[in-house]
Amino acid sequence: MTWLDRLPGRGRQGILWLLLVMVVAAATVNPEFRTLDNAVNVLNQSAALGILAVGQTVVIIAGLLDLSVGMLIGLIVVLTNDLMNGQASATLPAILLALGLGLAVGTVNGVLDKLLRIDPLILTFGMLSVLQGVIFVYTDRSVGRASDAFLWMASGTVAGVPFSAILLAAASGLVYLLLDRTRFGRHVFAVGGDETCARRDGIDTARIRLIVFMISGLSAGIAGILVAGRLGTGYPNAGAGFELDAIVAVVLGGTSLAGGRGSVLGTVAAVFVLGIASNILNLMEVSSFVQLLVKGLIVVVAIIANQPRRLMPA
Amino acid sequence: MRVAATSGFDWRSLRLDRTAIWIVLVALFAVAAMLSDSFLRPIYVFNIMRQAAPVGIAAVGVTLVMILGGVDLSVGAIISLTAVVAAVTMDGEVANIPFALAITLTVGTAIGLINGLLIAYNRVSPFILTLGTAIAVFGITQIYSGGTARGIVAPGFREFFNYRVGGWVPVLAIALWVIVLAGLWLQRATVLGRAFYLIGDNRAAARLAGLAVAPITVIAYTISGFTASLGGVALLARSGVSSTFVGRGLEFDVLAAVVLGGTTFEGGRGGIGGTIAAVFVLLIAFNLVNILGFSYQSQLIVKGGIIILASAAYGYLKGRGGYLKGRG
Repeated sequence: MTWLDRLPGRGRQGILWLLLVMVVAAATVNPEFRTLDNAVNVLNQSAALGILAVGQTVVIIAGLLDLSVGMLIGLIVVLTNDLMNGQASATLPAILLALGLGLAVGTVNGVLDKLLRIDPLILTFGMLSVLQGVIFVYTDRSVGRASDAFLWMASGTVAGVPFSAILLAAASGLVYLLLDRTRFGRHVFAVGGDETCARRDGIDTARIRLIVFMISGLSAGIAGILVAGRLGTGYPNAGAGFELDAIVAVVLGGTSLAGGRGSVLGTVAAVFVLGIASNILNLMEVSSFVQLLVKGLIVVVAIIANQPRRLMPA
Repeated sequence: MRVAATSGFDWRSLRLDRTAIWIVLVALFAVAAMLSDSFLRPIYVFNIMRQAAPVGIAAVGVTLVMILGGVDLSVGAIISLTAVVAAVTMDGEVANIPFALAITLTVGTAIGLINGLLIAYNRVSPFILTLGTAIAVFGITQIYSGGTARGIVAPGFREFFNYRVGGWVPVLAIALWVIVLAGLWLQRATVLGRAFYLIGDNRAAARLAGLAVAPITVIAYTISGFTASLGGVALLARSGVSSTFVGRGLEFDVLAAVVLGGTTFEGGRGGIGGTIAAVFVLLIAFNLVNILGFSYQSQLIVKGGIIILASAAYGYLKGRGGYLKGRG
């Protein structure tokens, strides 16, 4: 037993070791990696995906999937930047718009899930297509400009620590407490583990699913603010692929796609594994094509290295 | 599961279970025919079948994988890679076509084999593993093609596949049906097909019954890689373009069709028949909004809405079976 094994939760030791090995290896091999600027850069680049993946962790623990979050980020990036157009006075409305829109789409997903009772993957895939259509009906080119406050949220620091990293730490801390210390959290695990059992135990499973989708939408709202500030303009394709990156991070972090098992800390570690890998390849000036290949191989190797122990039931 | 079906265990619900997607298809077709005369012209219907070929062919293999309880998200990337490989190896010469097809199908099948070996002999999530191979294969495609459209299709290649037999049926549509029928035969009439259902329904029971679960899993993913490469060839034949992005996102079209067609992520149920009906549901919906003169952008909204509503209607028609079973 190492101290890693004694941490609460299961199945994420592999990813924490991988993260440790990567940081040490990168720091040894590449002096540029050791600079403070680069560390800030990695944190800033990983924060949006991290917050999104933390939300998706809750979704996947509940045995669901939310494919709509990527396009939701795209829509938020377009609308907030268009609303702000560089004016400082529009910052607060833009933040409210981002959070409200995220929460609203999450609620729609949750309500449709309850009403229509279709596979959540199909439901949110349909929503992905709808949101993509809405974005491109609205605009097919970049619109608007982020206000200085948005730019600061994406890349500014507080006492040397990137604000986006503080946001990620707060979000993952909150969700960790929510899952590990509250009745709602226990219910999320119960619904993901065996929904029929959970319902027979008197859990309002439809309500749990609704709240889970709302959390997912809200996480996309917060991530959308960071992406909007990072890009500085309303680029319509901004969110494409985010949902898959988030799912990859969640599963690499040891959360089971079957539901009922998983951890937020594992997800955050996996986000940094992916972020550091991309950072090292960038520092080494590897072409983006080769980076794609390497990213794919990392996913394959990491998931094989991180598979559940043989002792666990099939 | 299917043994129960054939012995008349619960006739009414099981029949609806399988026919629901066809009812949705007929209803959608009726609506389409009312809104536009084109849908009543056979040539247009055959053209829809031609359009359906790449996704439909790839969906055959993915359906088999999902019956077995797996999933294959790498098919979009395999379609892209094989379309590029086929165009590059053809290099504009008719004489190169057999060699090009052999290489193309070998590449796709090999990727399927790798997927199968990694999944069958490890305890990993096939969803994420094939997502990983999809990213890697997409990277290989980009490196191979230099990031732009590359390769020249041989003269006569596209003409052959788009030639209308008897003035009506495009060869590509016939190819789709041949592969669908081959898949249906495999699914219904072979020991292998039965094994897919049993493994998907109860993996532990299948193992205890003496089935070679791991090798059969490898076969399923290999078939999926093979049909995806056929889909790549079909896409090249349909469009003639070998851009690296050509198959991007197609895995979601395939997945939507398979799930809409009644093959669930849990495995052990569904089949190729439902999948192919769902491919046509999605395609008719897409054609319909096109004919009604919506912009491409609003087509995406309608497409998403139809995916949601059609699967809701399907779920309603088949009662509370399938995925809903656990939610009563």
